[in-house]
Amino acid sequence: MKLQRRKLTASVPSFAMGDIGFLLLIFFVILARAQDDSHIQWQPAELEDVEMVAAPRATVSIDTGFKTYLDGKQIAPEELAAALTEVLGDAPAGQRNVFLKVHREAKASHFEPIIAAISEAGGDLVHILEPEKENPQR
Amino acid sequence: MKLNRGKMLIDPPACASSDIAFTLIIFFLVCAAVQPETGMSQALPKTESKSDKRDQSQNIEVSITPTSIVLNGSPLRIEEFRKRITSELSKKNREADRIVVVKSAPDTPYPVWLGVSQAIDQAGGILTLEIESEKTINVR
Repeated sequence: MKLQRRKLTASVPSFAMGDIGFLLLIFFVILARAQDDSHIQWQPAELEDVEMVAAPRATVSIDTGFKTYLDGKQIAPEELAAALTEVLGDAPAGQRNVFLKVHREAKASHFEPIIAAISEAGGDLVHILEPEKENPQR
Repeated sequence: MKLNRGKMLIDPPACASSDIAFTLIIFFLVCAAVQPETGMSQALPKTESKSDKRDQSQNIEVSITPTSIVLNGSPLRIEEFRKRITSELSKKNREADRIVVVKSAPDTPYPVWLGVSQAIDQAGGILTLEIESEKTINVR
């Protein structure tokens, strides 16, 4: 006589699908933020009347050592215009925002060639700044 | 006689705690990453390689050094500069006449430059940079 084995069925528990979907969504949201420049050391300058700004197409930074970065990668200022033109592509006006993060101690010799390169690439320049803190002694 | 009801203890399932903690970590990470940024938009005319044929005598010229702001030859403080540039630009009707040529000394600090450019923007001027190009000449 032949004894039949009981079949073992393995199924993915369906009640976890919601959690898995949610985690995947967050994972792709983080991946979409590929322009990560959080490793760059810089301090923003302060200015009165700053406003909230829309999402950038590219981010150019000048760090505490006055080195230039495009989307977190170091780049020579002379190569910036060409690289930015490639990044901006054929994006329509209004969607060509380029964030410029300049360390507060930078001088004109550091940031002016960068501004000229952004202008040459046809980017919409947005200086990233902090609102001026009120002086407590006033 | 009073009958005591048996208390019903409902424990949340402990096996879900790690999932909850993980999801909370990711939630706070995302919140920190998408912190909104503040700044100042600036309209710049597109740089062209061809020589600019604009009538330069019509344009307002501003020179910035670490210690002074010079508007058409007269040195000013930032508060005075705001008033003067507003009054100068209010006389200009054509867009081409609203171009303000800014020339900065190489050691001009960024906050000073920003203050001047914000004043020009708010007065309705079109900021144009005059940058000295460096040329290397090899001497034999």
